[in-house]
Amino acid sequence: MKRLVVALLICAVFLWFVVSGNAEEGKLKVGFIYVGPVGDFGWSYAHDQARQIVEATYPWIETVYVEAVPEGEVEGVIDRLINQEGVDIVVTTSFGFMDGTLAAAQRYPDKIFFHCSGFKRAPNMATYMADFHQVYYLNGIIAGALTKTNKLGYVGAFPIPELKRHINAFTLGARRVNPNAQVLVRWLQTSWYDPAGAKEAAESLIAEGADVLAFTEDSPTVVQVAAEHGLPSFGHYSPMYKFAPDFVVSGQLVHWEAIYLDFFAKVYAGLYTSKNLENVDYWWLLREGAVELGADFGMPINPVFEERLKSTIVNDPVYGEISVYDLVFALLKAMADPEYAFSPFTGPIRDRKGNLRVPEGVRLTMDELITMEWAAEGIVGAWPGEPE
Amino acid sequence: MREPIVRIARRLEPSPEMVFLVSVGSVIFAFLVSGFLFSFLGIFPTEAYRVFLNGAFGSFYALSETIKRMIPLALIGAGLSVSFQASVWNIGAEGQMLIGAIVGAWVALFSHLPSPLLLPAMFILGFLGGAFWGVFAAWCRNKLAINEIITTLMLNYVAANLVLYLILGPWKGKTVRGFAYTDPFPKEAWLATLGATRIPLATLLLAIIAVFVCYLILTKTTLGFELRVVGRGEKAARLAGINIGRVVSFVMFLSGGLAGIAGVGEVSGIHHMLRHPAHISLGYGFTGVIVAWIARANPLGVLASSFLFGALMSGGDALKVSFGIPFQVIYILNGLVLLFLIASDQLLYYRIIFRHGHQDTREEDYGGVVD
Repeated sequence: MKRLVVALLICAVFLWFVVSGNAEEGKLKVGFIYVGPVGDFGWSYAHDQARQIVEATYPWIETVYVEAVPEGEVEGVIDRLINQEGVDIVVTTSFGFMDGTLAAAQRYPDKIFFHCSGFKRAPNMATYMADFHQVYYLNGIIAGALTKTNKLGYVGAFPIPELKRHINAFTLGARRVNPNAQVLVRWLQTSWYDPAGAKEAAESLIAEGADVLAFTEDSPTVVQVAAEHGLPSFGHYSPMYKFAPDFVVSGQLVHWEAIYLDFFAKVYAGLYTSKNLENVDYWWLLREGAVELGADFGMPINPVFEERLKSTIVNDPVYGEISVYDLVFALLKAMADPEYAFSPFTGPIRDRKGNLRVPEGVRLTMDELITMEWAAEGIVGAWPGEPE
Repeated sequence: MREPIVRIARRLEPSPEMVFLVSVGSVIFAFLVSGFLFSFLGIFPTEAYRVFLNGAFGSFYALSETIKRMIPLALIGAGLSVSFQASVWNIGAEGQMLIGAIVGAWVALFSHLPSPLLLPAMFILGFLGGAFWGVFAAWCRNKLAINEIITTLMLNYVAANLVLYLILGPWKGKTVRGFAYTDPFPKEAWLATLGATRIPLATLLLAIIAVFVCYLILTKTTLGFELRVVGRGEKAARLAGINIGRVVSFVMFLSGGLAGIAGVGEVSGIHHMLRHPAHISLGYGFTGVIVAWIARANPLGVLASSFLFGALMSGGDALKVSFGIPFQVIYILNGLVLLFLIASDQLLYYRIIFRHGHQDTREEDYGGVVD
């Protein structure tokens, strides 16, 4: 009997060592899974920057990451993160990881899963997204004021609702200050990271007369091509000022850490558990500080373009006679203010086929935003999945 | 004439033990060299080896992941072995696999077959799809005298773009928010997995059967004899009255079909949908060429070489997870293994003789004497 007790004790101590083996005592261990390489200057890079900020901010958190994970392999990588590294929270940062993450969430009901850009949730799986449509609207305003040919070029990776929403916001912004502005669109439809395709698309847009470029793709290629032609462009995802300091006007910057810091703190405090995440869905915008307007952090508009934008005066339906520069900052303030809550998608808005998509005085709901398929007036080019 | 200090002599057929030992030795050498790479990344090499071995073989889970990766490689490698024995250089397994995946996805999503027939139909039609893709290249060679290396390689890109066209166009799912995927397959089209692992049982059995069938075809049938004769020399084969066109068509049919089965296995066993071609094939089609080559085109050897490459993939995953190393490091590691294996070939078929060594093998002398 005595021997049995001793043996059991030894087993218990051993198990305790094994269980608490990897993570440091009392630390929350988080594993990040990226679909791309962290050096892509786009999506995965931005998530990894946020991971580093999180680790530097919270002494009680420890992180690991795995890059360039093929979509079908995500479940195996989650297994390894949990069993090999002993993580408590798994963060999966690609839409294509959705079903694999959900399956893993069901297999590990005590672990917490945080999936970016998807729509499937579980008691232990929350979702999140930092959306740019407000920032694109402001970029559109600037682009509409800068163009001389009235043609803006846009390189998009895939024709999905997210990009359609962003291109629509960009177009609506441009036409607010320049009703003649057109947005010429080229889809890559190859990969989120396709520098060769992006270069080709940017060149062809310029050949067609576009003199301001914006894009959604995970490399700084479009910015570089525009600069070679001496044309202004807008950065995407990470600060792209440094790639063309004289030509990057502004852009969309993300602060994934705003979401991560909030979520992990709530998990650490016990507010979020593996039982109550069914309805936890972050959809964070300017107001929450998850996104930022700028060519670089803290540089909303490149000083090179400041004079030109200050001297361009438009007659705005809301603000009256105002310089484009002031208009951008007025709207930026309005969108960042929780009380004011201006939306670029406030009616009346018609699509390019003439259908009234947003009636007068109505704002689109989040559900309508994330399933958007129509193309706004002023968009030129193919638009796969365009409704009648 | 004075003997040169070093000369190289041809060996006759190397013994199986020799092949095995030299192959294992070269893998070990590759790992020793990669130790420099790990040190350079600030990882203690023995620590990296430990994680790698643990991640590939160290637990039931690790082994199951290795076997999961091994299955498509074994299916493709077995078929390619037969093809390479006939000196038909099919390097289009990547594309044949994707065609299998397309056909399987079509059956799963649009055929509306009752569930007992669904999976068998996916595999049979997927086999025929991959086989068709292979036979087309055989037809080009037989009728138009176009080198099959070119056609099979180019058809890979055609197949990949066909997948892209389908997932972006007509087959784009209704439930995927505009992303480029098909809808998920109905559950009846999912392969059952072995216990708690993610090994699809059906493809595991099919892979083992394929290996043995290919071995029997090569060693026990007239067709196998004929195709080995074709492999050794077309002129001799023609003189012997062997129908070369038929042999080429057959090996392309078989190797393409097995790659097609691998494709069905991936979509119905792992992805449960059709998605971006790069995420489905994961380079299995090209790695399969290496698998068959390292097995010296012996289907039984494919069991070992596909296991080795499955282990490289799953051990590589473990390294990525533990150390957050750049993903390219895994490619370098795989490249080193391959490099050493290829280089070791010279050791198998040639031996270095120093001046004071035995000098009783002059009749085996190889022409290229090195001073």
